[in-house]
Amino acid sequence: MSDGFGRRDFLKVLGAGGAGAAAGGCSTDQVERLIPYVTPPEEITPGVATWYATTCGECSGGCGVRVRTREGRAVMIEGNPDHPISKGGLCSRGVSALQGLYDPDRIAAPMRAANGSFEPISWDEALELLADRLGTGGRSLFLTGPKGPTEGGFLNRFADALGGRRVVYDPLDDSALREAARIAFGVDAAPRYEIDGADFLVSFGADFLETWLSPVRFSADFASMHGTADGRKGRFVFVGSRLSLTGQNADEWIPARPGSEAQVALAVAGELARRGADAGPYAALVSNTDLASAAAAAGVDADALVELADGFAEGRGLALGPGLAGHHAGATAANLATLVLNAVAGAVGRTMHVDAVADGEASSHRELAQALAEMDAGAYGVAVVSGANPAYSLSPASGFVEAFGNIPFKVAFATAPDETTALADLVLPDAHPMESWSDAMPAPGTYSVRQPVMRPISLFDSRPMSDVLLETGRRIGHDFGAATFREYLRAANRSWLAANGEDAGLVGDPDALWRELLRAGSVSYADTSAKVEALQPPETAVAFDSPSFEGEGELILLVYPSPRFGAGEHANRPWLQELPDPVSKIMWHSWAELNPATAARLGVRSGDVVRVASPEGEVELPAWVYPGVREDVVAVAMGGGHTVYGEMARRFAHGPGVNPMTLLPAVADAESGAPALVATRVSVTPTGEWRRLASTEGSHDQDDRNVAPAVALSALGHGDEGAGADDHSAQEDHHGQLRELQEGGGFVPVPTEGRAEDFPLPGSDFGEYGDDHPRWAMAVDLDKCTGCGACVTACQAENNVPWVGETEVLNGREMHWLRLERYYEAVDASHAGPVDVRFLPMLCQHCNNAPCEPVCPVFAAYHTPDGLNAQAYNRCVGTRYCANNCPYKVRVFNWYGYTNDIPEPMNWQFNPDVTVRDGGVMEKCTFCVQRIRDAGGRAAVEGRDIRDGEVYTACQSVCGADAIVFGNVRDADSRVASAVRDERTYRVLDELINTQPAVHYLKKVVFHDVDEGGH
Amino acid sequence: MPTARTNKQWLTAGTGLLLALCVAVAAGWRALGPQQAPGESEATVQEGDEGLSQPIQFPHDTHAGQFQIDCQYCHFSAERSVDAGIPPVDACMGCHQVVPGRTSPEEVAKLREYHESGTPIPWKRIYKVSDHVTFPHFRHVAAGVECQTCHGQVQEMGVLEAVAPEAGNLKMGWCVSCHLERGASRDCTVCHY
Repeated sequence: MSDGFGRRDFLKVLGAGGAGAAAGGCSTDQVERLIPYVTPPEEITPGVATWYATTCGECSGGCGVRVRTREGRAVMIEGNPDHPISKGGLCSRGVSALQGLYDPDRIAAPMRAANGSFEPISWDEALELLADRLGTGGRSLFLTGPKGPTEGGFLNRFADALGGRRVVYDPLDDSALREAARIAFGVDAAPRYEIDGADFLVSFGADFLETWLSPVRFSADFASMHGTADGRKGRFVFVGSRLSLTGQNADEWIPARPGSEAQVALAVAGELARRGADAGPYAALVSNTDLASAAAAAGVDADALVELADGFAEGRGLALGPGLAGHHAGATAANLATLVLNAVAGAVGRTMHVDAVADGEASSHRELAQALAEMDAGAYGVAVVSGANPAYSLSPASGFVEAFGNIPFKVAFATAPDETTALADLVLPDAHPMESWSDAMPAPGTYSVRQPVMRPISLFDSRPMSDVLLETGRRIGHDFGAATFREYLRAANRSWLAANGEDAGLVGDPDALWRELLRAGSVSYADTSAKVEALQPPETAVAFDSPSFEGEGELILLVYPSPRFGAGEHANRPWLQELPDPVSKIMWHSWAELNPATAARLGVRSGDVVRVASPEGEVELPAWVYPGVREDVVAVAMGGGHTVYGEMARRFAHGPGVNPMTLLPAVADAESGAPALVATRVSVTPTGEWRRLASTEGSHDQDDRNVAPAVALSALGHGDEGAGADDHSAQEDHHGQLRELQEGGGFVPVPTEGRAEDFPLPGSDFGEYGDDHPRWAMAVDLDKCTGCGACVTACQAENNVPWVGETEVLNGREMHWLRLERYYEAVDASHAGPVDVRFLPMLCQHCNNAPCEPVCPVFAAYHTPDGLNAQAYNRCVGTRYCANNCPYKVRVFNWYGYTNDIPEPMNWQFNPDVTVRDGGVMEKCTFCVQRIRDAGGRAAVEGRDIRDGEVYTACQSVCGADAIVFGNVRDADSRVASAVRDERTYRVLDELINTQPAVHYLKKVVFHDVDEGGH
Repeated sequence: MPTARTNKQWLTAGTGLLLALCVAVAAGWRALGPQQAPGESEATVQEGDEGLSQPIQFPHDTHAGQFQIDCQYCHFSAERSVDAGIPPVDACMGCHQVVPGRTSPEEVAKLREYHESGTPIPWKRIYKVSDHVTFPHFRHVAAGVECQTCHGQVQEMGVLEAVAPEAGNLKMGWCVSCHLERGASRDCTVCHY
């Protein structure tokens, strides 16, 4: 203790304080107040959670969530299992909406620009100013992110009423895909993919498990397509120059050169046509291709493409992509090629649907380009920006900042200050999606409502944008028939029901239907929209050649959306900043991915700071050597380098990271106008500096420890004499040694091969231990786990787990109770071949024979009668012996009371059912004991046992892949017990050290052979 | 962590302050009797009474004793929640709309003021278990534990006392002894998590 005040001194003072309190009769706190309600809200019982079903607003995926509130505050967001799109899953960004809601950086009051800074004004003044400018300030431009159909429709009406223009802008929107769908099918909407209906999936670079279209839905569908059931599983091939998290989930990787996707897809379609498939109007185009020249363009072996064609010919194939990560100047052509491939492979109408409904809220880069030109020409007097940060997410080369500056009066609605609000003349605090009304229509036949889950936070005088515009409209003589957007939404719902209710099968009292909608969060109805299945004749202007890249450097720059920050809009959230990136495991800062061969050529190791320079600019950032990128590319994620937004996160980081958009030239996709993210060559030069990567990747190699073994698909289904048999004999050997060691050391050996349900250990026949308790256990299917990390964030939210900041991460003091191990078994960018990356969510294993327990001098670590490895915080004195003795490294020590550093109001998110731990205490996964105790209490009061599925853990509550199952393993009918009986089940390190964990893993199933021991 | 030192200092300062406060209050208590809390002019207990000055002198003995009103009539969530529930001002007014308060109408007048101005009554907290303890009221009510077991003979108290002597100041040993007697679990994670 450098400050001269040690823990021991502290305890002395604390003891004295306690004694003084007792002697002085101060046993109750003199100042604490109990504040009752004056009139209690009907839906709130103090101490009991109230749940709201609503729609996530963090991206345009339209996932259903349920939000747990306590005493009127949102404390947790989970997936809504009844939602047809997200099916109970949620991503880290969705969970972290809580940190957007309670963001201390949120704008507290309306502000007007004055003399180079902002001065707060009242809402009255702000509304008056807004009404005045919108009424008399000249033509108005509404530049907004995608809103729900009703809110977007309202904004269109509003812009029309004022004679203005509305442009939808979403940096993560795949407009090239929609443009390709328009060319191929005549519909301006992204096709809908049903991945679970395919058994051969090919992604031409689309990161569908991370950011592309609807990642949570795709995770669920992918898990059911790619997970093993009845000895069968679908195959997934990734074609692209960088293995993203999605790519790491593939069975095979064809490391194609950037820009070659169109040629590969067309050549495969041509091969299928030659084998007899019908290519319709594209027959002539695809017949001109051949696999050999496509393979040459992609820089891969032609055999790999033959296998690709075989896969499509033999199974129900589906092609996706290329998505945003491969967005280059020929992006529409590449998308068109995959759509044609799907048509030729027969996927259209089977696993790919084209609805004859244009997506009204889709972003249009062509319109944005037109608007930019008009802005330059001075066509607008007023601009209103909302739900978008174009000053950050568009490259400087696009000229947005200059064009925006031409507008005399700029209004920005935002929750927190960002690069665009900094340019505005009037900044209005917008309500967070958790505080406002809206809706979403994520698929035809699915309507999802967004409702406020709590009153707007009193610290920020925010108002929902739509309410403000309705009020402003009234002031300038435009009445939209509603005083608030809630009324507007309600009326829109009513009139939709009147017009379509019967066709959709939604009949009855509209008020009752509305109440049911609010209860369930969404409604599914008969989808009567027409479908398009026939290809339209090709437009001759589309060129399928590889695009050329600007610049002179030797490497091609890949800019890709971050799975954690999207295009940067979530960079202010400490949970996401400290969530290890699913691919690199790096937190808090940016990095550049280099192939090991490239790195060796440049003389660069991981952590060496490199200068990445393009004709547009240069950035400096540490390199991270990754075998999952091609030799001719360098990859940098979006989301770093904020100059205004992200103040909260920067307090805990060593810098803002870098924004790769500053390197990109003003190159756009020829057809859709979307900015190209793969557009330039760059030079990469070491600067001579080195910085330690804030990474949790201990090793990407299992070093023969066999922590995450796999089993070959062909070896499955042979019962006990299959893959498990070798493990069994290995276990015998190891345990023999273990027994000898224990006996030699004078210990009573614990019998080996105990199952989780055999708790308590023989001899523990004292106290409350007995076999009449449940034995809580977990099963994690590693064949389904995609390694996304949503469970990590959900755990953090549920259990008041603090973040520690970059400095402390570098000290190895991150506090996650759950982490995702990631091991490479086969990752090679030099040629096409199998890829095998293993993910393993590692949490406290709740061992029957837990090594942490006997070493605790104060019995803080002990076993509960229902099998939990418990940690009594109030007993813990912080010796850390338990962590030292834990072979799984799942115990974390709170070195400094990090929870005290959480600023107001972000600490309002704390779960009141879980102790907020202070410094000096060891903590770890509790199997969400608060949920077990709550369910147990309710069940006891009702005089019954806890039902299977009644208790679910936080990590389970967001897992889109449904990889995590929790329950009582003693109940033979429970889901967890049946998962534990699976032939793929194993327990980590149990065969070595006889820990007998309660967490079971189901081995990943791979198509290639694995050698003995599971590698 | 740049703020780590600050935290410890805060803890030191906070603990010291708490200590000083306790000593000062204890001394003041003995020497002068109960003090008026700042900003409260009327609501003090009578000299010689033991107890805390509350914003309204609510006589539990009148309500729970003389009139035999069930505890859960006001503490409405005890049987279904972790929290027993502090009665909302509306609940008081349910009766006091028509009951003027025979013995101390001036206290009922204060209640009306709170209600009319829509202000919650800032009661001083008497009972509190530590932050690392969960005490689910509903389980104890369901198990037939009487409120008096922990809270003392509330129905006889004119002024709610700061501690219930029977409860041994709500120390853990006292909780555990009852759990043992009744055959309830004495596992740590029943209360601590």
